[in-house]
Amino acid sequence: MRKYVLRRLLIATSSLFLASLVVFSLPRMIPGDVVQLMLEERAYGKDLEDLRAKLGLNRPIYIQYFEWAGRVVQGELGESLWTKRPVLEELGRRLPVSLKLGLLALLFSVSIALPIGILAAIRQDSLADYVARSLAIVGLSVPGFWIATMVILLPSLWWNWSPPIQFTEFSVDPWAHVSQFIIPAFILGIASSAAIMRLTRAQLLEVLRQDYVRTAWAKGVRESAVVLKHSLKNSLIPVITVLGIQIAQILGGTVIFETIFGLPGMGRFLFDAINQRDYPVIQGVNLVIVSVVVLMNLAVDACYAYLDPRIRY
Amino acid sequence: MADHVETLASRSTQADVPRQATAGAPLLHAIWRFCRRKPLGALGGAIVLVMIVMAVFAPYIAHYTYDETIRGARMKPPSAQFWMGTDNLGRDIWSRVVYGARISVTVGFCAVLIANVLATSIGITSGYLGGKYDLCVQRVVDAWQSFPFLVVILSIMAVLGPGLLNIILALGFFGAANASRVVRGATVSVAQNVYIEAARALGAGHVRVMVRHILPNVAATIIVWATIGLGAFILAESALSFLGFGVPPPYPSWGGMLSGSGRSFFSQAPWIAIYPGLAISLAVFGFNMLGDALRDVLDPRLRGAGGRMR
Amino acid sequence: MGTANPKLSPRLTRRDLLKAGLAVGATLSAEPVLTPGRLWAQPKRGGILRVRGYDPPHFDPHQTLNFKTNNTLSFVYSKLVRHKVGAGVTPGTFTVEPDLAERWEEPDDTTVVFHLRKGVRWPNKPPLNGRELIAEDVKFTYDRFLTEKANPLKFMLDPVDRVEVVDRYTVRFRLKDPFVWLLNMLANPTGTWIVAREMVEKYGDLKRAETAVGTGPFILERYEPNVKTVFRRNPDYFRPGLPSVDGVDWLVMEDEAAQLAAYRSGQIDCGPWHQWAVRQQDLAALKKSHPQLAYQDFLSNVTTGIYMRTDKPPFNDVRVRRAISHAVDRRAIIEAVFLRGEPTPAIGRGLTEWSPRIDQLGPGAQYYRHDPKEARRLLAEAGFPQGLKTTLTVTGGYGSDVLDSFQLAQRQLKESGIEAELKVQEYGAYIATTFLGKYEGMALGPFSIAWEPHTALYGMYTPEQSRNSGHVADAKIVSMLKQQMRTKDLEARRKLIFDIQRYAAEQQYYVYLYSPMFTGSWQPSVKNYASNPSFDYGNRAAALWIDR
Repeated sequence: MRKYVLRRLLIATSSLFLASLVVFSLPRMIPGDVVQLMLEERAYGKDLEDLRAKLGLNRPIYIQYFEWAGRVVQGELGESLWTKRPVLEELGRRLPVSLKLGLLALLFSVSIALPIGILAAIRQDSLADYVARSLAIVGLSVPGFWIATMVILLPSLWWNWSPPIQFTEFSVDPWAHVSQFIIPAFILGIASSAAIMRLTRAQLLEVLRQDYVRTAWAKGVRESAVVLKHSLKNSLIPVITVLGIQIAQILGGTVIFETIFGLPGMGRFLFDAINQRDYPVIQGVNLVIVSVVVLMNLAVDACYAYLDPRIRY
Repeated sequence: MADHVETLASRSTQADVPRQATAGAPLLHAIWRFCRRKPLGALGGAIVLVMIVMAVFAPYIAHYTYDETIRGARMKPPSAQFWMGTDNLGRDIWSRVVYGARISVTVGFCAVLIANVLATSIGITSGYLGGKYDLCVQRVVDAWQSFPFLVVILSIMAVLGPGLLNIILALGFFGAANASRVVRGATVSVAQNVYIEAARALGAGHVRVMVRHILPNVAATIIVWATIGLGAFILAESALSFLGFGVPPPYPSWGGMLSGSGRSFFSQAPWIAIYPGLAISLAVFGFNMLGDALRDVLDPRLRGAGGRMR
Repeated sequence: MGTANPKLSPRLTRRDLLKAGLAVGATLSAEPVLTPGRLWAQPKRGGILRVRGYDPPHFDPHQTLNFKTNNTLSFVYSKLVRHKVGAGVTPGTFTVEPDLAERWEEPDDTTVVFHLRKGVRWPNKPPLNGRELIAEDVKFTYDRFLTEKANPLKFMLDPVDRVEVVDRYTVRFRLKDPFVWLLNMLANPTGTWIVAREMVEKYGDLKRAETAVGTGPFILERYEPNVKTVFRRNPDYFRPGLPSVDGVDWLVMEDEAAQLAAYRSGQIDCGPWHQWAVRQQDLAALKKSHPQLAYQDFLSNVTTGIYMRTDKPPFNDVRVRRAISHAVDRRAIIEAVFLRGEPTPAIGRGLTEWSPRIDQLGPGAQYYRHDPKEARRLLAEAGFPQGLKTTLTVTGGYGSDVLDSFQLAQRQLKESGIEAELKVQEYGAYIATTFLGKYEGMALGPFSIAWEPHTALYGMYTPEQSRNSGHVADAKIVSMLKQQMRTKDLEARRKLIFDIQRYAAEQQYYVYLYSPMFTGSWQPSVKNYASNPSFDYGNRAAALWIDR
């Protein structure tokens, strides 16, 4: 088990390294005159040389990378070209918001998906199965931003009420702080719940056909015990894997909900930075997101090893 | 998209039954059986078919061209002349929805094609050759997959600029990561089979083995992924439109109609948004249902198992 | 709205007078409080004004022309002079009045001397510690304005040679040439805020929120990026009794649906769109469900138009340009996209004192007529009987509504034989290249906002200026522009400005399209407020009061 975790850790580190290479090379892929653009339009630097120095573009590439990597490891993510505030400070403010949104969405998603998935599996090809799958797909088929728009707009048109648009800090009003995440997290959760539901269903179906399950069934064990005690734990393993992937999707994809519901998270921050060509911010945010994802996948892998005794890598 | 990692990457101990092209049963017969066994999938298939017909025969089905502004017909509700009403510029929404199918199908199919070609080559070689090559490639795929959807797409678009081709490239490139995992998983399962070893023993080269023996058996996985991926790409395009990176004018895309004037004019003319929105939802629904059913049918381990518990 | 002086426009009819009267009447009726008895109502003190705000990219007025920065800074800073505010101000009029300078004189054509108010204090926070505002501050501000390399607004004060301190409360501006618009420039709500040397010395520049400390009506209490900025009353503000409100909550809301929902549900006090307006698309439904809200129409002072390489064929031929003007159907675009608005001459219709109606443009007015046949005829005459092919560069950065209008224009051009391939550029790229003249063929988009005619005209028609996106080089216009810059008499100047616009309409270097209509809106509890398309939110907020 320990060897397994260690091995996964090594793998995670190499993924992170590769990802950092990509994150690093992104600004270098800008067409040349875009640097000129940044200078003329936004006055990010005093002149071309100064700007290139700021972006670190005036030295050999490998040196640039190592310098950057060195700074990053020490927690120095640079300064926003746009606002001149340290990137780390901005992230420190926004990462918790995105994380709360993402985790809450995941929670909703799992609590919807698991029961429906289980139901659909044990009643395969029945009406309940069809209804459950259809519902899941319907939740998945409507674009998230549209559901969010309707949720905000329709109550204001009909009843002159709308969910609070302004962000409240936890320290100001804890209940308001928590409740402002509920609606967006729910909508966000619906989309990924479909994926998890279908996976749960498929996995459970497969496990239910296994010999040991049939044995338990033949022995007269109650259906609920068969399902819960014998099958569920095994079928959940790939589901957990998928959760790790879902968190990646959610983290960077929250921009739509953050825009509509006024939550100052990382998605919106990254989106603005891309529009404004604020490369230190883009690099910093990308790096953090990727690191979080890799870490979560590592955690998932560790759970995986714990749950499935057959894993011996 | 991600849930395909599931069945094929799981540690099943059952050996795979090699799949050969159904030589005996005629195609129509197979389709009929499929419809009977999987009515939801058949419904999905019907929806997909309608979409493709709309896309191909758009000029014959639509009443006007997609950017034709009809004088004096601004913001008209659905009527006999304008089946789905008109938008704020006086364009017929039915026609735009029909042409929008063309855009969605094009974007979807091309992106899926790119993603699959990439994914298949990476996935099969990685799963089959194994060893150090597999280890390295999978690390790259890991890194690639760690970047969330938006980050990849927006970064690519920021560098490439807006445009139909760039969207297709961006979506295809992004989707390839997930797909390659799936293909690799399927390859690993298939490659364990005895007949593969036999082929190698008979002197078949790596490439020949991969193309002639592995690919057909992995094809089912690819098809399933592609079908569901199409739906996902249509949704992705609508999200991109909302953020301002969607299909540029004058091409009508459902996502663009929904997130642009559909949203702006919703309180006055809800039909501008409702119909493209329905189109998106139906298309995604159809592709997903079809993909689900195809998976149930084509995946040998779930086939014929009949697992009803009562 | 009151436009021309009867002496200037021989065609000023009873209809015009009636329209002007109706406009004034409409303004009065929009504000239910302004009935004769209540005009003298006492301002009520207290309350927080909650409005839709913006997140500025940074807080340095000399390093950007971004409206978000200037909007936000207008709460905390003062200028030498400002535009008049209050319920009695007709939208579209920008009257210069004293702010930090209590009076001024012009000893000669190239000198303006300002006498500052005494006893104006900076806030009592380090490093300023409540010291008095003196002439050195003004000199420092404008020296920085003129010398800061990254200042895109420098062109505003091009004619200024130097700023001198005469004594503690007296500042002298020396001009290179006579420039009658100096006061208007100093009153423009972009970049003219008086800043303090100590801030720049302490922080290097004024980009950080901590440096936004000024002598304005409010103090920046808290800045939460992407969320809101909290302003509270400046207790030492030099206008006694103001502001009446305790503070302003400047709430960032990016999404249109969310903005409307917030206004409808009473979470904000004024309209959620730009200039505290309500979007035309939402107006009808809102008026029906909320008849008690105030509504005030005003036209935009931004012009949008087609610009092209007038220095190269085929656009160096005036017939081609006139054909383009005939090809577009301005009315159709306005109705389809903006619902209401007016076709515009070179100066936005929202700048009511300086912008004539199209029918007052003389011979140039005919080119505003939508006439595809005439367009084709002109093209044939210019040597393009089969029409011509070119590109039309636009950007999606102004929103999908505006992009719709571009598509419509492109279609209209096609109907007259001008095949313009639509090239959509990303906003950042557009602003840095196309907008500054680096493009081929044609382009289409908004020109800049202006509160006086000089800014709207000078940069666009003067060769070598970065805003001359059409590469116009016409000696007659240049000499007319130079002349109006030195014409002291207001009426003579107005006549010149009108002449310039008439000439511009004849030449169609820029094919001006439309000025959309805005409808300002606010809750009935907000008093003594009138809409005006200006970035000076701070002074407008300081003048109003809330009566809940």
